Amino acid sequence: MRPFRFLFIPEVLFDLLPFLPVTLMMFAGSVFFGSLLGFVLARAKVRGRKVSGILADAYIAVMRCTPPIVLLFIVYYGLPELLLSTIGLDINAIEKGIFVLVTFTLLFGAVMSEIMRSAYESIDKGQWEAAVSIGLSPFQAFYRIMLPQATAVALPNFSNVLINLMKDGSLAFTIGLIDIMGKGNLIISKNFGAYALETYMALALIYWTLTLIIEKSFGYIEKSLSRGKRSIAE
Amino acid sequence: MDLNIRYMIDTFFLALTGVPVTLSITAVALLVSAPIAFFMAISRIYNIRIVKQVVSAYVSFIRGTPVVLQILIIYSLLPSWLNAMIKSLSWDINIFDMNPVIYAYIVFSLNTCAGLSEIFRSALLTVNKGQLEAALSIGMSAVQAYTRIIIPQAMVSALPNICNLTINLIKGTSLAFMMTVKEVTSIAKIAASYGYNYIESYLDILIIYILLCSVIQALFALVEKRIGSYKTLTGSAAKAV
Repeated sequence: MRPFRFLFIPEVLFDLLPFLPVTLMMFAGSVFFGSLLGFVLARAKVRGRKVSGILADAYIAVMRCTPPIVLLFIVYYGLPELLLSTIGLDINAIEKGIFVLVTFTLLFGAVMSEIMRSAYESIDKGQWEAAVSIGLSPFQAFYRIMLPQATAVALPNFSNVLINLMKDGSLAFTIGLIDIMGKGNLIISKNFGAYALETYMALALIYWTLTLIIEKSFGYIEKSLSRGKRSIAE
Repeated sequence: MDLNIRYMIDTFFLALTGVPVTLSITAVALLVSAPIAFFMAISRIYNIRIVKQVVSAYVSFIRGTPVVLQILIIYSLLPSWLNAMIKSLSWDINIFDMNPVIYAYIVFSLNTCAGLSEIFRSALLTVNKGQLEAALSIGMSAVQAYTRIIIPQAMVSALPNICNLTINLIKGTSLAFMMTVKEVTSIAKIAASYGYNYIESYLDILIIYILLCSVIQALFALVEKRIGSYKTLTGSAAKAV
């Protein structure tokens, strides 16, 4: 068996890191659009209208059971045909990143809506009533009173799903997007399959670092946001 | 967009033959990792030196890297390792003839260990320390105290998380096709490549996963009801008052 070459890891890291922005852009884009979708879904559920609530529920239930890679391929193969046959739009030549973005927006929206809803519902209704009773408009009451408190509640879950989203994002290479995973596979095939293990280790290091960054920074934000909160222990 | 419905129905039943493999990976991963994860959780709760650091690093690594990467690492590492080991022992087994599902068992067990240990840890911490002290003070051994008093209570808070983990595990097994395991995804994918019917195949896979996960969720809901029955009792009593 060929010996493991440690020095190849830093070498390959330099080749991989220029592609980190692609990974991060996909991540940031999915978080942004997914949060918007999540907000719409959560609102539909919280307001308790019948039809929209049931639709949101069904959507979330389906997405919860969908493996990311399956949805990725459905979007990748299905979306161009769907658009072509319905509105005659040809997107076969479009950037692959768009498919990745659509897939993870759909997935992340469902997860995000559950977090938003549970955080919103964990805030005492009296907070809202008190805010409205002293003359804040409903929008102000939501924006100034409910949102900051709900955010503090949602943060630990939020950091968890962000980490999961980033890890799922590594699947984008299966449809040929050249992010760090895609580049890693290119490097491996350029070396005719040699140093595969070292390359994967380098990728693992990158993902591990990103996860730790997310975890630590959220721990920090959580601390500063929960300042005013007292639990029963104190 | 026209779907080939006939193909879709045929492939659906074809892909269903992969369900046992998918479920076996899930079951093996859960069963193998449950005892290991329990001791990992205990080692972190009781602050056993060195073991605790190793376990934390392991959990952090597994949590911090995508499953695909874990699969690729194990799959490029393990076969040649095992081969070298078997050669040095001069056994007469060809490791490359082995069913690749073995590697899937290994990857997903390693992965599940980390997640499950975190779940067990937080669940064990929810049980009041007085429970353990009371159990020990009436003369139970530590093992009895755990199996009869602590674990049943911890299970109540652990179950929803275990359900989540199982669902994620089932979804994760769709990646086993990278190790040439013949489960739902790979069977449907291979069927699709004959006539380029990818959308139909992936929709089939989606339906199967939705069915599988719904069944699992329903089962967990049943168990939760059963295990948490003492809680609902006090809950309804409180309501009656």
